[in-house]
Amino acid sequence: MVLLVIWSVSGEWFFPALSPQRWSLDGWRWLLGGGRIAVAVRNSVVLGLADGVIGCAIAFPIGRAISRLKGWRRYTAAAAIFSPVAAPPIALGIGIQYFVLRLGVGGTAIGVLLAHLVPTIGYLSLYFLSLFVAFDRRVEDEARTLGATARQVLFYVTVPLMRRPIAEAIAIGFLISWAQYALTLIVGGGAVHTLPLEVFSYMRAGSGNYAASSALVMILPPLLALAAARYAAGRTALSPV
Amino acid sequence: MKSSSIDAPILDPRPRRPAALRVTDVTAGHGDHGGCRDITFEVSDGERFVIVGPSGAGKTTLLRAIAGLIPTVGGTVEIAGHDRTNLAPERRDAVYLHQTPLLFPHLNVFDNVAFPLRVRGVAADEIRARVSAVLDSVQLDGFMTRRPHTLSGGQRHRAALARAIVAHPGVLLLDEPLSSLDPALRADIRQTILGVAREYQLALVIVTHDLDDAALMADRIGVLLDGRMAQIAPPAELFAHPESLAIARLLAIPNEVAGHVDDGCMLTSPMGKVPLKAKTACGDAIMAFRPDAIQLLAATAPAAQCTGVVVELRYRPQQTTVLIRIESQAAPITIEAAIVTMPSLTVGMVVGLRLDMDRVSVFPVLQPDSSEALRSIASQTSALSPAGPS
Repeated sequence: MVLLVIWSVSGEWFFPALSPQRWSLDGWRWLLGGGRIAVAVRNSVVLGLADGVIGCAIAFPIGRAISRLKGWRRYTAAAAIFSPVAAPPIALGIGIQYFVLRLGVGGTAIGVLLAHLVPTIGYLSLYFLSLFVAFDRRVEDEARTLGATARQVLFYVTVPLMRRPIAEAIAIGFLISWAQYALTLIVGGGAVHTLPLEVFSYMRAGSGNYAASSALVMILPPLLALAAARYAAGRTALSPV
Repeated sequence: MKSSSIDAPILDPRPRRPAALRVTDVTAGHGDHGGCRDITFEVSDGERFVIVGPSGAGKTTLLRAIAGLIPTVGGTVEIAGHDRTNLAPERRDAVYLHQTPLLFPHLNVFDNVAFPLRVRGVAADEIRARVSAVLDSVQLDGFMTRRPHTLSGGQRHRAALARAIVAHPGVLLLDEPLSSLDPALRADIRQTILGVAREYQLALVIVTHDLDDAALMADRIGVLLDGRMAQIAPPAELFAHPESLAIARLLAIPNEVAGHVDDGCMLTSPMGKVPLKAKTACGDAIMAFRPDAIQLLAATAPAAQCTGVVVELRYRPQQTTVLIRIESQAAPITIEAAIVTMPSLTVGMVVGLRLDMDRVSVFPVLQPDSSEALRSIASQTSALSPAGPS
């Protein structure tokens, strides 16, 4: 982290010097000046938020449904939903690319979003599965006998009870998308610019200060998400009182 | 009303008001453990019906089946005269309260209690009025804006009760409502339940394994054994006249004395020859009776049926009893008697005993549970011993 900060403000820094021979804020000026990197940040943020929200909306009922299975059915379903995550990203990307090309969204943000959703749904389904296994379903039963329909129980009881885990899940989904390189490159075909792609291209080009300042921007959201998750973890109330 | 057999469904023939709840031949659950079969009973408005039974007897399964939380395999559930057997829980008009209060932590007390009204689309003004009234009934009128986690255990129970009754359900189903409470709170919540049941004329079905709670809360008690309703009776009748040895044991009746019915109306046992109140089949039999069915007399009193030696005094908050050893030809037996008329007993003292046969149940050993019990008792002489269960 410290190295990245120093590197981001270096003008020249060659071996074997222990510190930069010349200091420069060019990397940060360029970063804050907008242009290509601003587009990449915007794309990453929009894709991350969409991936977190949509992934959460899909994984929530999947995790809930799997939690109601018993024995081998539960393990099989959990393994099935997690299997795309276990595959190597390049193999997964090639498979997804075929799928998004068939849909006609190859090389577009929509295609990249669909690709990001695959691992996100896998991770978040397991996340919600673990929560629903521990969830006290008696509160839903009691709410039903109090007169609430299944839909009312979901929106007035279950979702409010799990609002903090849901917020955490959205943050996790955001981070999964935020850090995606291989899937974005393969499915986006270089046409969809995100921050990881930019950082990697600067590194390949030898623009150390640009790569370092971009990498620091990449680190910021995970740090915020970790802080938010730590705050939420201490306040999560999954059980009725 | 008593059933003639443990296998027969039981209906109370006494004239009653129209049933708030009528359960007919309901079978629910599966497997040998925890299911219930062919259950039939009725509960009227304002009546408190308590179901007792050992763990795994099917009490909670029955309650959940009535609430619609699990499907019934057979039979019908009528609430307020309408068949609700196949309706979803929210359309049954039967509220099911769990053992622990399950308040929604994201809502304050007012919103928790208002929940059943809000999901029914009741107008805001009426919600305010009804919630205020019901919170007043459970002494929580000053707690409307409090969050559940700031309430004491008793207040949470009362809030959950208020939420259950605010929509005036046809039947309130309480699953072990007092089992998680300490004795002081237990009495408090018991009185609160009885108070709101009277005020709102609720039909209550309460499941419990605690016989004290059952006796204190019930108008009638149903005994569930092995998934079947074995007996339904008011508490006094049930405790005085259990219909089988299994029921007597569930009711913790401590004295079982094996004997032999000679001519249908006289039973010979280590306690002497005692006349039976009802004609009984000749053969081996077991007498079961509570400690207060024994009258303690002076050893030389002419009314004494037998004598015994005091072996232990048992002091309890509500009743002091004494263990008495009776010598017999086969082997000595030990029985437990309540101390009412002879308070100055000491260990080793010889006393006379007389049984109040109106309060003694006699079970022929033809019943499967009785034959097993007789063998057990014959080998052990008695269910009680000085070091035995109290």
